[in-house]
Amino acid sequence: MNEFHLTEDQQDCLQELINIAMGQASDQLARYLDTFVYLKVPSIESVAAKELIEALNQQQNTMAVVSQGFFGYEGIRGEALLVYQDEDSGRIADLLGYEPDELSQDEQLIDISSILTTTFLNVFARQIDNQMSYNAPKLLPSVQNSLSEHLQQMTFNWDLALKVNINYQVTDYSFNCNMILLIPETAIINIKKVLDRILAEF
Amino acid sequence: MSPSVLICDDSNMARKQVLRSLPEQWRTSVQTATNGAEALTILRDNSVEVLFLDLTMPGIDGIGVLQGIQKLKLSCSVFVISADIQPEMQSKVKALGAKEFIRKPVKPDVLINYLQQHGLL
Repeated sequence: MNEFHLTEDQQDCLQELINIAMGQASDQLARYLDTFVYLKVPSIESVAAKELIEALNQQQNTMAVVSQGFFGYEGIRGEALLVYQDEDSGRIADLLGYEPDELSQDEQLIDISSILTTTFLNVFARQIDNQMSYNAPKLLPSVQNSLSEHLQQMTFNWDLALKVNINYQVTDYSFNCNMILLIPETAIINIKKVLDRILAEF
Repeated sequence: MSPSVLICDDSNMARKQVLRSLPEQWRTSVQTATNGAEALTILRDNSVEVLFLDLTMPGIDGIGVLQGIQKLKLSCSVFVISADIQPEMQSKVKALGAKEFIRKPVKPDVLINYLQQHGLL
């Protein structure tokens, strides 16, 4: 079952909305890190709930997941996961340049994730005439088993995940992370309606 | 008289957004390109006067197009329209000869205003 089947026009429209949201999220990240962030075209794919859990369980080197809930109007809500790979965690700490005792590596990851998630979703929401509020971001403890548990304990039934593959290169460094938006069917139907409304304007 | 216009963006929607932001009399003489390589081919063979250029594209990106324009010594006016709004990027494209940096999504009044500022309207 894939409720999120998009027409070519809907896909193009969603991609452009996401590009604009990504651009502003990178700008925020660049300001935060006081450097330039090189941005690639983010790729988007949709994944059914069951497949996602299987895929994430197979991903051996996932080191950290930061999870943050979001709520808009008209049934648009979900959970944003930022998934980091093992080899990137140290680089992020280097990038942020915190003193060792200033903030723990966990807190740095939460900081950076929240900047990306909330900027991205604020800009995305504004473009579809919506507005988001957020739960506090949380870092999942020792990822391996807790991720699938976390996914199963979600307070709403999510049917589909929209996976946005983000690659950030920051001058000498680069790190990859996946932003995965888990959204329920009502939100998917609503987003499609909004895409059609935008497309009808052209 | 309307100038010959090229719109280069990998997104169909973004190209349409630019198109409908243009002054009405300009819309008849518009060509489009979906990536940097296509844009450079058109630029080389035609006399494009105004180019609206996206930055983040697969293959040759907007920066590559700006560099190509410099190398080929083409005289078109380039307006960059991009989601990559970092200040450093904005100054970089201007250093490469772009007239203006316009943030996405483009609004008709903003675009018209810039065209007037540069004496194109």
